[in-house]
Amino acid sequence: MMRVSSNTIFDSSVATLNQQQARLLQTQRQIASGSRILTASDDPVAATRALEISQSDAANTQYASNRDSARNTLTIAESTLQAVTSLIRDVQTSTISAGNGSLNSSGRKVIATDLTARLQELLGLANSTDGLGNYLFAGFQSRTKPFVDTAAGVGFFGDDGQHLVQVAANRQMASSDSGADVFMRIKNGNGTFVTQPAAANTGSGVVSSGSVTNPALLTGNNYSVSFSVEAGAPPVTTYDVTNTTTGFAVAGMTAQPYVSGQAISFDGIQLDIKGGPANGDIFTVTPSTNESLFATISDLINALNSPVVGANLTNSLSHGLNNLDKALNNVLTVQATMGLRLNELDALQIVGDDMSLQFKQTLSKLQDTDYNKAASDLARQTMGLQAAQQTFVKVAGLSLLDYL
Amino acid sequence: MADLFTSALSGMNAAQLGLATTEHNIANASTPGFSRQQIVLGSRAGQQSGSGFIGQGVDVTGVRRIYDEFLNTQVQLEQNRASYLSTYHTSLQQIDNLVADPVAGASPAIQGFFDALNGVANNPESVPARQTLLSNAQFVVNRFQSIDQRLTDIANGLTSQIASSVNTVNSYAKQIAALNGNIKRLTALGQGQQPNDLIDQRDLLIGKVNQEIKTTALKNSDGTVSVYIGNGQPLVVDEQAMQLLTVQSPSDPGKVEVVYNNNGKTSALQQSSLQGGNLGAYFDFRDQSLEPSRNALGRVALGMAASINQQNQLGQDLNGASGGNLFNAVSPRVDRNTNNDPASGVPSVTIANIAGLTTSDYQLKFDGAKYTLLRLSDNVTTSYATLPQTVDGMTINAPVPVAAGDSFMIRPTANAARDIALVTNDAARIAAAAPMRTAAALTNSGTANISSGTVNAPPPADANLRNDVTITFIDSTHFTVTDNTAATVLVAAPGTLYDPNVGATLSFNGWTTQISGSPVVGDVFNVVANTNATGDSRNVLLMAGLQTQNLMANGTASLQGVYGQLVGDVGAKTQEFGLISQAQDNMLAQTVASQQAVSGVNLDEEAANLIRYQKAYQAAAKAMQIAQTMFDAILAMNS
Repeated sequence: MMRVSSNTIFDSSVATLNQQQARLLQTQRQIASGSRILTASDDPVAATRALEISQSDAANTQYASNRDSARNTLTIAESTLQAVTSLIRDVQTSTISAGNGSLNSSGRKVIATDLTARLQELLGLANSTDGLGNYLFAGFQSRTKPFVDTAAGVGFFGDDGQHLVQVAANRQMASSDSGADVFMRIKNGNGTFVTQPAAANTGSGVVSSGSVTNPALLTGNNYSVSFSVEAGAPPVTTYDVTNTTTGFAVAGMTAQPYVSGQAISFDGIQLDIKGGPANGDIFTVTPSTNESLFATISDLINALNSPVVGANLTNSLSHGLNNLDKALNNVLTVQATMGLRLNELDALQIVGDDMSLQFKQTLSKLQDTDYNKAASDLARQTMGLQAAQQTFVKVAGLSLLDYL
Repeated sequence: MADLFTSALSGMNAAQLGLATTEHNIANASTPGFSRQQIVLGSRAGQQSGSGFIGQGVDVTGVRRIYDEFLNTQVQLEQNRASYLSTYHTSLQQIDNLVADPVAGASPAIQGFFDALNGVANNPESVPARQTLLSNAQFVVNRFQSIDQRLTDIANGLTSQIASSVNTVNSYAKQIAALNGNIKRLTALGQGQQPNDLIDQRDLLIGKVNQEIKTTALKNSDGTVSVYIGNGQPLVVDEQAMQLLTVQSPSDPGKVEVVYNNNGKTSALQQSSLQGGNLGAYFDFRDQSLEPSRNALGRVALGMAASINQQNQLGQDLNGASGGNLFNAVSPRVDRNTNNDPASGVPSVTIANIAGLTTSDYQLKFDGAKYTLLRLSDNVTTSYATLPQTVDGMTINAPVPVAAGDSFMIRPTANAARDIALVTNDAARIAAAAPMRTAAALTNSGTANISSGTVNAPPPADANLRNDVTITFIDSTHFTVTDNTAATVLVAAPGTLYDPNVGATLSFNGWTTQISGSPVVGDVFNVVANTNATGDSRNVLLMAGLQTQNLMANGTASLQGVYGQLVGDVGAKTQEFGLISQAQDNMLAQTVASQQAVSGVNLDEEAANLIRYQKAYQAAAKAMQIAQTMFDAILAMNS
């Protein structure tokens, strides 16, 4: 049987009491702080994981705030474009009413004045800011006024830069669109070529915008359709089609008899001319170029302010309407992509909120105190400590010396 | 008749000595290191008579110290280990509380910095957003510095703890040497009887030395003990005590090491022999936990500063100038060994790439023919015939001049957290924009697009980056490139072949851009200087993206990832030492209980002994009384 030294009785009791008290304190601190992990050493794996998740959670919160910023800019830009589309529709209506044959020149001037006001309004819309002084459509040069009315028409002084925003961990979204794409890069004519009467035309020939019948045959060259009228009863009207880029007549298209409204087809191009072209009247076919919305409206204003000669007003109005249509499509397309981006932001927001909840739940599981367990631990440890204290007093109080 | 008196007297004397020893035991019941004592009794040889040998009483032949050499050594060993573990654990707790604190650690500050970068990316022209970024950058810098300062405070505390521990060992060594002298003389005087209480005191002192450092004690025949540190390095021999001293380490001026001090002259002591105990814990904690933690923190600071600087240099600031450094460039710390040839130079070491950096320190040695680089974290050596060499993310240049036997301590990241600083307080200097932009001419009639373009890494950016460059399609499948600013033709006619189905990637003057779609003849694309680009956030977005990139540890971890590793490593080590330390305390308690079971005083036992010797005394006194009564009876017969 082992001897027990009196010191051992005291030492081991004190050591046990200390240990129990330390455990009790740890439980008490866990309850008081609400956190199971008071320092990393309490659970290094969970602490490191909690650190990682806190970082992901913080990044997720930052993405949400980035999304808010993108949503603000996109919403302002979208509503601006909404105003632009309704403006284009108004201009279309005015242009159509200007084609009314009963209108005299003063009536057309009234419409021209209205369109001039519309042009200024459009310029204002195109130079909209985000409320903080940044132009919405200036690209990277957010403090440079992008559209300025110059002697040569409205010019674009911004750039093609798009402002990107980190809206999710792996997604950068453009929160702005280039003003050039919205207002400047609008293909005129039918998108492939432009038909136009020469300024000196005197006849009543009105040219259609034409269409492409065979893209493979397209050359991208310039053409002219020139009319000659031989006097007679009735007069005989014929036309020649010349490739003005090469200088040669298009094969099989010389001295063709003209029938109003009949298709004129060559090199994959088809167009028709209605009415009575005069001798020497020329219609040109050139590849489409970009024409700004501002130029289209300016051209319309100029046409309405000019005296009517032959069919040039009708030709100008139809050219203008055609371009307005293109412009409307263009603006609607950009507006639609903005709408899609706003939808995507909403979808990302839902994902982000879900992730945030997930992160918070995981964090809570990793580091929050389980109060049921902690309360039960506390009760058990208190009982243990009390028992140890009571037995210590009993054991320490035993001595043979008391009986001597 | 007289022998009756003698016998009874011897019994009374023995009982008296027994009582004295018992009372000594009781008095010393709680004296540290005390071993209970017992009188050793022997019966006197009997007197020969016709009736046989008649007993002559009892002799007290000595006072024995109840003691087990094995258990005592065991207690010292366990005590040594327990002190080591408990001191290491306590020291670790200081870092543990520091680095993982969700509020005071570096992690929230780094997060705040990257959040602010996103703020600038959202509103690149906003001066308040930029100012917030600078404030957050300053906050990160302060946080790195304050954690590093705290580590330095801990290191300074360690240095003084080491010195005080060394003083304690010196003081104990002197006392042991003095006790050796006393015990030697008293043992000689006592003719074999040992001065038990002095031996207890000496054992206690040897135990206390063992709390500071691991020693081996050897008993000599003259009663003295020789105490050796580690692998037989003497501390106490006979009556002589060696004195230890802390001095600055010759290889690393920031550290101390322990040497022998012979009356002012120092002689080296093998540092590896300083094991166990508080002193061993201080050294191991310093070299295996504290300095690696400082290096790990420095690596995060250096990685963040270097990667942000690199990206900022590739951008363009709010004033339209090329981006510079936002943080200073921190150099690795290199120390020459104080024993080097005084003429020798110091190798210059630069950071080559942050991905390769480790948290280790390195020792560079030159033996006259080749350089040997020792990585201290895992003791891997590499030899080089010549320098410079790039290893573990740093480039080491040769020291000029260099002598055989020179050695240098290279600490790539040790100073980074301390020395990191913000070098600009001008919010405009944050290079949010890229220096160039691309544009498609408004007159283009084709459907081809040009991407916004990126600047080629790494810095410095190409000098011609902002030159005005025109890309012209001379037909729908060929393009030429002209640098209008430098008036040079980069791609001459007949131009580069272009496939509209694939597109093309163009890289000139330090930028890269893509053209896709179908161009037609005469279409023109421009790459121009990004003037007035207040709304461009391309570059700051790339900076914000650095947060999630695996920039560190050879592309395996992000900046916050390596910080997380630091927290995890320290936490795991603290937990491990906490558990082992507790187990060791229990082990120690058990061993002490076993040793006390042999040597400790049990008061009940002593109480029983009191009664035993009291009764013995009373009985012997009764015998004396009876002898006197008998003597009186004989005297009465004569009267």
